[in-house]
Formats: sequence, structure tokens, C-alpha cells
Amino acid sequence: MTSNTQSYLLVILQGSLLTVGVSLGALAVSILLGLLGAAAKLSGRPVLTALGTFYSTLIRGIPDLVLMLLVFYGGTIGINTLLEKLGSEATIDIEPFAAGVVTIGFIYGAYMTETFRGAILAIPKGQMEAAWAFGMSRSQTFLRITLPQMVRYALPGFTNNWLVLIKATALVSLIGLQEMTYLAKQASSATRSPFMYFLFTGALFLVYTSVSLFALRKLNQRYSLGTKRGQL
Amino acid sequence: MKKLLLAAAIGALCAGAFAQGKDLKVAIDPTYEPFTFKTADGKPTGFDVDIANALCEQIKRKCVFVEQAWDAMIPGLQAKKYDVIISSMSITADRLKVVDFTDKYYNTPSKIVLKKDIKFDGPASIKGKKLGVLKASTQEKYALGELKTKGVEIVSYDAQDQVYLDIKAGRLDGTVADTLEVGGGFLSKPGGEAYQFVGPELYIPKYFGTGAGIALRKGQGDLKKQLNAGIKAIRGNGKYKAINDKYFKFDVYGK
Repeated sequence: MTSNTQSYLLVILQGSLLTVGVSLGALAVSILLGLLGAAAKLSGRPVLTALGTFYSTLIRGIPDLVLMLLVFYGGTIGINTLLEKLGSEATIDIEPFAAGVVTIGFIYGAYMTETFRGAILAIPKGQMEAAWAFGMSRSQTFLRITLPQMVRYALPGFTNNWLVLIKATALVSLIGLQEMTYLAKQASSATRSPFMYFLFTGALFLVYTSVSLFALRKLNQRYSLGTKRGQL
Repeated sequence: MKKLLLAAAIGALCAGAFAQGKDLKVAIDPTYEPFTFKTADGKPTGFDVDIANALCEQIKRKCVFVEQAWDAMIPGLQAKKYDVIISSMSITADRLKVVDFTDKYYNTPSKIVLKKDIKFDGPASIKGKKLGVLKASTQEKYALGELKTKGVEIVSYDAQDQVYLDIKAGRLDGTVADTLEVGGGFLSKPGGEAYQFVGPELYIPKYFGTGAGIALRKGQGDLKKQLNAGIKAIRGNGKYKAINDKYFKFDVYGK
């Protein structure tokens, strides 16, 4: 392996930290939006339910790539045109890292909405009713009764969403972030030896997803304490 | 109150946006060696990058390079992420509908490449042969317009590399590609010895456009004028030739 190859690999390795950063940031955004979306859909208020349904239907029905272009470029072009109309010379430049986190978070929030909604519905209704009977407020009920119990039901779907989310970060190069897939493309183009760099990138993705799977399995064990595993 | 908030919000968005100064933000997609690529230490380099720097020197601004994936090149320009695209973008009628272009700064011809044992005497002479081309490329347009109509079988691929792989695998008889691309990426490589260029250099504007230019947003007329003057100037003062000779054995400015 030449020193040149090593430096390209090192650049990709550094780029992978950006991938991890964007993924974790987007995960936080998507969890928040997912909880809000699930709450809206289950609220029983027609307007909120409609809003939640609109969000999860629209976003899950459009390809990530298209949404990314629409949200980021559509948004920027819209604001810039507005500024022009108002007679301003200025242009806005959205910070790409924040944009990547928000855009991917916004997309995966829709998937989380459905995952969380299903998990909440899986909890026997009596649990919530008992909490209310004890005089707990809505937020107390959610934090003390619903949340701890829904984790176990949500984890399998959550794990899937997370794995797909990590891989979706390969799209953020479209909005100007140098994540590892784009860096691998650059390296393979400069050296004209694609397999080396793409294999390396694939391996890095596999490392990150394996680590997450391990952590999520531990979490699952923790939240499944005291429950019986299904058996025939 | 609402108006005040709106004003404040727009004000916040604009902060820092005026700091354009003399920097010229140039978009490149550094995945196209030897025109734009990155060295192992991460620096943008290549023919396009050198030409951009020479032009910036001419118009007395500083080039700041913005890396951008190809698929979002034009949306990024429209969103004002950068001022110009100097990244081997061919001037085509379709692109001219949405963006503006300067004059070309290079124009390399495309050519047909065939296995050496196939005799070539015009498109009709290779009827029934199978050629691979890059999907959505100018070469594909030419191949579909001029060769397929004469009975040549055309197969489209997602990447030019895949065309070479399939030629090596024996599934194709040749390709139509940019002479530079196919020269550096295939003919000079192991496995390329059995192939050669045939026929004339293909310049037909209907298919190939008129070369690679600098893309700008519509309405940047002054900048366009300056850049056009800049291209003429570096052609005249030998700077272009110096950059050209660093990467190529012949003049890529073309006809």
C-alpha cells in the first residue's frame, strides 16, 4: 500500500466522523419529531391527527433524494427569491451540517412517528387509565408509564430506522457535506481504483452499524427485564 | 409585532451574507481526474482548478472553491451557494434554458473506439456491432442519433468505468467517449492495447454542445463579460498554454 493510498484512506476515515455526527444529530431530531408526530396522531383531536397523518404520509411517500433537494435547495431558493423581491441584495447561506441534520431528521421523524405510534398502541390501555385514576397529569403519565413501556415495543422498528438513517447520510454530499461516500468517490476518481476505497467505506459503515446493533441489543435487554420471551 | 419579528428574522438571516467582498465562490465536483480532483492531502487540483485560479487573477478576485456533488450542481448555483461553476460542464441547449454560460474554455472531441480487428468505414460499416456509452451523456445522444439509426446496437451504462469493464468482459465491441477520458482511462491501461480510435473527431454541436464553459446564474452579465475577457486574456498571454501543458500533450481548447 502506497503512502498516497494511506492518506486517501485517512481522509475517508476522518470523513466518517462527519457521517457519525450527522447521523446522531439527525437521530435526535427524528426522535423528537417522531414523539411529536405520534402524540399528534393519537391525540384524538381532528386537526392534530390530520397534521400528523399528512406529515408521515407525505414524507414516507417521497424518495429521500428528492426530499433532500426540495427541502434544502427549494428552501434556499425560496428565501433568496423572497429577499430579492423585498429589494435586498443579500443571500442566505444555510450551514450545511445543520441543514443535513435537520433534513435527514425531518425525513426519518416520519418513520419514527409510525414506529412510536405502534409502540404506544401496544401498551394495554388500562395502564394509562390506572395512571389517570391515580391523579397523574398527562405528562406524568407519559414519562412514568407510557415511555418506559413503549421502549420495548419500539426498539425493533427503531433499530431498522436507525440503520437506514445511517446509510441515508451518504446523500448529504448533495448539500455540500464531505461525508465518507463522497470522499471515497473523490479518492477513487483521483486514483482510478474504485474498489479499494468503496470496500473501505462499506467496511466503515458495517463497523458503525454493528456497534449500534450491539448497543441497541443491550438496551433491549434492559427494557425487557421482567417480561417473558415469546415461546411456542 | 408580527412585522417586527419578520424583519428581525430576515435581518438575522442576512447577517454575514454581505461578506461576499472580492471572493469568487467557484463550485467544483472533484471526481473528474485530470480536470478536477483532490490530491491525497485533500487539496482541489486539476485543469479546471488551475484555469479558475488564472481567471480569478485576471479579474482580480480570489477563488474560493466549494465542493459540490454533481447531481446538485445547478440547484446549488440557483440557491446562490456559489457564484460560478467551473467543473468541466458542457454548454448544452438544455442547460442554457436554466443557467447562463461564458464562452468555452476547452472543447475536447469525442471519438469512436473499436477493437482493432474490426474494419471501420463509416457508421454503416459496423452494423450489428455492440457499443457501450455513458447514460445521459453527449456521447449517448450522438450514438442514439447517428449510430443506432444505422443498425449499431447501443447499450447505456451508469458510469464510463462500467463500459470499460464490460468491454474487458467481452460483452461490447467498443465505445464512444471523450478522447481524453478514453485515452487516459482505457486505451493506455492494461487491456486497452487491443482497441483503437476510428473515424473523425466528433464535434457536432447538435449532440456535443460547444465545449465546456463556466456556468453562471442568469443576470450575472457583468461577471460573464469579465470572465470572457479573462479567457481571451489567458489564451493570449501564455498562461492557458502553461496550464494546458501541465496536464495534456495537445491543446484542449479545441476547434
